Amino acid sequence: MNQTVHLLGLNHRTAGVEIREKFALTDCDPLEAGLFPLDDALTEIMVLSTCNRVELVAVGPDLDSGGGAEHADAAESPTARRVLELWAAARGESVADIRPYVYAYSGLDAVNHLFKVASSLDSMVLGEPQILGQLKTAYRKATAHGSTRVILNRLLHKAFSVAKRVRTETAVASSAVSISYAAVELAKRIFGDMGGYSAMLVGAGEMAELAALHLVNAGIDKVYVANRTFARAEELARQFRGEPIVFEEFPRRLVDVDIVISSTGSPSAVIRARDVKDVLKRRKNRPMFFIDIAVPRDIDPDVNGLDNVYLYDIDDLKEVVEENLAQRREEAARAEAIVDSETRAFGHWLKSLDLQPTIVDLLRTGEEIADRELAKTLKRLGNVDDETREALQTMVRAAARKIFHEPICFLKRRAREEASTRRYIDVTRRMFNLDGDEVPPDAHAARRGIGAEDAEGAGSDGACGPGEELDMDLDGGLDGDLAGGGDLDPGAEPKNSGGPFCTGGRAEDAK
Amino acid sequence: MAFVDLLRFCVIALYLLGTATGVAGFLGRRNGLLKTGLWANGAGFAAHTLLLVAALGGGPLPELAPGLSLQMLSWCLLAVYFMLLWRFRLPFISIVAPPLALAAFVWSLSMTAARQAEMPKALVGLFLGLHIGSLFACFGLMAIAAGAGMLFLHLNRKIKGKEKLTGFRKDLPALSTFDRVNHVAVVSGFPLYTLGLISGFVWAKLTWGRVLSWDPKEVVALVIWFVFAFLFHQRLALGWKGRKPARLAVWIFVFILLSLVVINIFVPTHHSFTHSA
Repeated sequence: MNQTVHLLGLNHRTAGVEIREKFALTDCDPLEAGLFPLDDALTEIMVLSTCNRVELVAVGPDLDSGGGAEHADAAESPTARRVLELWAAARGESVADIRPYVYAYSGLDAVNHLFKVASSLDSMVLGEPQILGQLKTAYRKATAHGSTRVILNRLLHKAFSVAKRVRTETAVASSAVSISYAAVELAKRIFGDMGGYSAMLVGAGEMAELAALHLVNAGIDKVYVANRTFARAEELARQFRGEPIVFEEFPRRLVDVDIVISSTGSPSAVIRARDVKDVLKRRKNRPMFFIDIAVPRDIDPDVNGLDNVYLYDIDDLKEVVEENLAQRREEAARAEAIVDSETRAFGHWLKSLDLQPTIVDLLRTGEEIADRELAKTLKRLGNVDDETREALQTMVRAAARKIFHEPICFLKRRAREEASTRRYIDVTRRMFNLDGDEVPPDAHAARRGIGAEDAEGAGSDGACGPGEELDMDLDGGLDGDLAGGGDLDPGAEPKNSGGPFCTGGRAEDAK
Repeated sequence: MAFVDLLRFCVIALYLLGTATGVAGFLGRRNGLLKTGLWANGAGFAAHTLLLVAALGGGPLPELAPGLSLQMLSWCLLAVYFMLLWRFRLPFISIVAPPLALAAFVWSLSMTAARQAEMPKALVGLFLGLHIGSLFACFGLMAIAAGAGMLFLHLNRKIKGKEKLTGFRKDLPALSTFDRVNHVAVVSGFPLYTLGLISGFVWAKLTWGRVLSWDPKEVVALVIWFVFAFLFHQRLALGWKGRKPARLAVWIFVFILLSLVVINIFVPTHHSFTHSA
């Protein structure tokens, strides 16, 4: 029986906002509510639901052998159909209502789609990173309910590391694509570190508020708020722990202010060039940055002609944002190449999850180690005749093979019991690092030193678990896998099998 | 003097490597290259220091080895470079100081005739320390201020003109940082320059009996001093910032180069690095 990844979902492109609202799964935790019970057709599931998309990633049996099925076929597999039924039922709708808006992928297409979602290549604003956090949360919930096992654990960890690769190797997530953030980036170009500088909002519009929020996050020292309605100024000032100013007062306070964000509804200019000239003299030419997001404009364009003064209006900022977006779109092609190659790599891993390739890999690893050590010894011995060399080689290789004899017998015995095979194969592959995964030194930092047994477990995991900066994820993944799996049979275990197996067995006993 | 020749070769090779990798690393935005450049320059600087120690400690002081003052200029440039790099962490000065230091060093090797100093032995140390030391340290500072000034003017024009920042410009520090470099260079450079001039005049009075001999170099030095004093005053008293001081710093450095290079080569002067007047 072959397990395949299925993915069903809808997003901002396939469904309008009413549809997305109707079929969102955000109001409750769908896994906790038991909306997606696991069974033979549905062995693993994870639910991601945000305001722009719903993605259901499921693992179930693959009846037709070929991967990468057609769009229509992907939705017809028993797993996909079951997920769709459960989804519709959860929202109290019929499958026919939901079907037109849903896309379905299976096999490597599903993997590819998930990697794209994680890397934010499928997002409404290309490259915006929120989706990765949402995906991590969704995965954490799924592991907490024990609804992810070998395949989804590996798939999600890969998705996170693909997203990281895309972020660091391409510029798809670089440079600001919102007007308020573009303004802050410009401020950094002028002032550098924001500490020690202050900003003033003239007029308290929503976009000005957002820009102020970005500035505060960037570490600006003080925010002044001037508004015609003083109560609104006070309210905003409280939000940023700033100082409210009576509107008529503000020109006199400009001396202390480095960044001015103006968004009043005034029909004529509120800040004129000659006023700024005076202000500049009084502040000894310390630079000033004016951001005019009002239409019609609040600030006399001549201000930009003064030395040490920089003025950007809403059109200038829009242009910056447009250019940055265009750059992101160019980078997306490179990002997709990364996603494609990682998808292929995941396909290899899925295939290797069978018994035969794992045995071959195990024996090959043993042989490699034996040959390496033999070479070292021969170098030390100096001149050795061929006969001795051959005898030595036969000996080390035999020793290496014998060491793997019992583990291989164990795996073969487990392979007769359908349910647990994959898990043991996966653990074996990780234990001997057959996939050559790199493990960062800070893996599982959160789990180290909790207890003697845990510390021991963390030590061995630290040498063979995949994933980066994902302590809690892998943590939950492995525990959910071994202890929460529910189909581990303690009686079938050899009495002295070590480590997490014992813990898992005991946990089951205790239940 | 095989050892000295070997050292010279090492210095040139290392500075060349440091300059090439530094400039390439900065413009091509490669951190690895930048780091290589830094190490090469550091190693070259160490060899250079050894060379100077050998030159100053070896022979009798009054006879300045050929090209020694230029080697000291090169050394001062790098000393200032390392200091500013350490203090402000500004990778951009890697495209300013090392190339100039390399040029000064290579030029120094073309000098052959020994310079005759006509002064009491006891005062030579003072002369070297005050006159050459302070002036060259100031030149180093102004070289970097000029580099910062040019980058400031470039970046300022881009930001004012609302143009997109591409390539290495994205890695440039903020405008305020360039202005801070200008401030440091002006505030510490002007007193050094003044000290250098005064010690020169005192020394001239002691050796030749007159303060000013209207040597072309002295005239240019006085012009520079007046421009420098103007900049110092505007910056500290009137609070000049940004474009104007950046431009003045570039001009001062152009004048300094003029007095160092053009006058030395084309105009007879008793300040020549090559032969005595």
